[in-house]
Amino acid sequence: MHSQLRVLRVLVEDNPGVMARVSGMIRRRGFNIETITVGPSTEPGRSRMTLTVDAGHAEVDQVAKQLDRLIEVIEVEDITDAPTVSRELLIAKLDKVPPTVEQYGARQLATGIVELTADSETVEEFIEFLKPFGIKELARTGPVAMRRSA
Amino acid sequence: MVLEALEREGVEIIFGYPGGANLPLYQRLPAHPKLRHILVRHEQGAAHMADGYARATGRPGIVFATSGPGALNLVTGLCTAFMDSVPMIAITGQVPTAVVGRDAFQESDVIGCTQSVTKHSYLVTKVADIPRVISEAFHIAATGRPGPVLIDICRDVQQAEGGDFEYSYCSVLPGYKPALEPDLVQVERAAEMLAGARRPVILAGHGVILSHAEQELLEVAERSGTPVGTTLLGVGAFPVQHPLALHMTGFMGTGWNIKAVQNADLLMMVGMRVDDRVTAKLSEWAPKAESFVHIDIDASEMGKNVRPHLEVVADAKRALTAMAPYVKPPPADRGEWLTQIDAWREEHPLKYSRSNGHLQPQDVLIDMYRRCQDEAIVVADVGQNQIWAALWWNYTKPGLFLNSGGSGTMGFAFPAALGAKFGRPDKDVWCVAGEGGFVMTAQELSVAVEHQVPVKIVLLNNFSLGMVRQFQDDFYGGVRSEVDLTVMPDFVKLAEAYGLKARRVDRYEEIKPAFDEAQATPGPFLIDFRIDPEANVYPIVPLGKGLDDFWELPNGA
Repeated sequence: MHSQLRVLRVLVEDNPGVMARVSGMIRRRGFNIETITVGPSTEPGRSRMTLTVDAGHAEVDQVAKQLDRLIEVIEVEDITDAPTVSRELLIAKLDKVPPTVEQYGARQLATGIVELTADSETVEEFIEFLKPFGIKELARTGPVAMRRSA
Repeated sequence: MVLEALEREGVEIIFGYPGGANLPLYQRLPAHPKLRHILVRHEQGAAHMADGYARATGRPGIVFATSGPGALNLVTGLCTAFMDSVPMIAITGQVPTAVVGRDAFQESDVIGCTQSVTKHSYLVTKVADIPRVISEAFHIAATGRPGPVLIDICRDVQQAEGGDFEYSYCSVLPGYKPALEPDLVQVERAAEMLAGARRPVILAGHGVILSHAEQELLEVAERSGTPVGTTLLGVGAFPVQHPLALHMTGFMGTGWNIKAVQNADLLMMVGMRVDDRVTAKLSEWAPKAESFVHIDIDASEMGKNVRPHLEVVADAKRALTAMAPYVKPPPADRGEWLTQIDAWREEHPLKYSRSNGHLQPQDVLIDMYRRCQDEAIVVADVGQNQIWAALWWNYTKPGLFLNSGGSGTMGFAFPAALGAKFGRPDKDVWCVAGEGGFVMTAQELSVAVEHQVPVKIVLLNNFSLGMVRQFQDDFYGGVRSEVDLTVMPDFVKLAEAYGLKARRVDRYEEIKPAFDEAQATPGPFLIDFRIDPEANVYPIVPLGKGLDDFWELPNGA
């Protein structure tokens, strides 16, 4: 099936209510947010979002175009098909930390708590690997991404 | 400071209603005689008046309302303006900053409630932000694809004295770059595609009117020998009686327009959204079209409904101006296409029947057109009256037919007609409405009387919600459910109670003297035309069907 998932990098004004505008637009147009991360950008007063959005029944380019209509959205880049690097952060609380977590590049943060920063597929694999060790709590950030240098 | 900023933006009229949260603005209003204020009787009326003012003048309409219910009563009017790309600035009072978020008296999250029906909105909690926000709001509302902007100002912030403050007109915003100039390669390609088509059709929407591109459209159409239809909001963008005119398109469009669209090999859509009322069932729309060219100022319209083969994201006037030099004369066989369209025009004319002896709405509109020609502004409400007014006038100029196309807001016409007249006192303004829609905002009769606004109200009274009744009859098994409006006020007495003159018309012979009296009477006037309760709109496409399935006036009706 043709994937309707789009990965977008969005630069927004860091004003109150911007998140509501972005998420409201996505809801209103019948799209759905899979993941969303927000943090400060290099420019003061502006934030960088990375969104994974399901375009639903709409044409996939509609997601970026509709977001770009928002006045407080300064820049939208659809990087779904672009060469990118993408990372997300996972922390998990376990009954018992297996000694082999380091094979995944993960590390122990505190008693019973491990951390992994990796691409989303590796994070999924790592969760499968952890399941037999009893996952008590799990938190994921969703991916942040950027284009590779040309 | 708010009022000073509005003066600097050249505002001349405000439609509004005071209340607890905008008292500081109203306290200072009398000191600003340049700002004329119209006290409405319901905030929805203010929004539609500002909308009508904006549609008639091209300048943003200004609305004031208080917090909570006052602001929420604007929502329908904001949505109406938003759907039809009408510039408007709504300034709402908000509870004082200290109590925001505490469910204070008459507090509501106006920004949250209006986000999806405004082009942009601001909550102002600092005095220093007022000039910047107002200048940005005017820039956003009036440029690019226009739309309503809401400014919600906390009461304590309104308190600020004007004094000396810096006011600079906003022209640039980092996240707002309306596409104006077309890509020249694309417009040249568009002209080539037009020249290469055998059966081309141009469809023109509201964008042509908003950008004043009617001359450029005429030039491109005539030079390329391309027939032109319009959307409901595009009515007037191309003269209806021009040999190349296809009149209105879509689900209640003319038969010859529908035939042309369904047989075209190229469609060029200019300044329009290609919405479901234009296409009817999308998968059956324009089945023979090998290429679509879409010209619109809003990039998000490209591929939203129809994926064009060529996109030109630009202001319609600039795009057509840039295209004109590349437009080639039609190929030798163009005559065949135009002859075919003429044949369809003969086969599928607009028709109505007088056979049942009732007063027919078309007769009313035809007499009205005869006296107004191209000089009056007609503001229609929503429903059958709207489609009759669109189809039975031969509009030759843009901006003379105003209606709520996208939102389909009942109750729009009368307050919008008042707003249009306030903005264009030089023009005769007529309101065409059904009795159902008219009573939704009839309280604004007080405004018409108070200011002696000479708007003439043409009530097409069929004692029912006619369009819904027609749909029930034709597409919902003939079950007439909750559409009967026989219990209504006597509209002549209602008008008299408000203080304006009125007259009732039951028969064809009474049409002319009634219009004569209306035109001879200074100030507002209402005519209650008791029309055929069974009169229908034709052509019409059954809901859910394709354009090819359009129905016409049944034979023998």
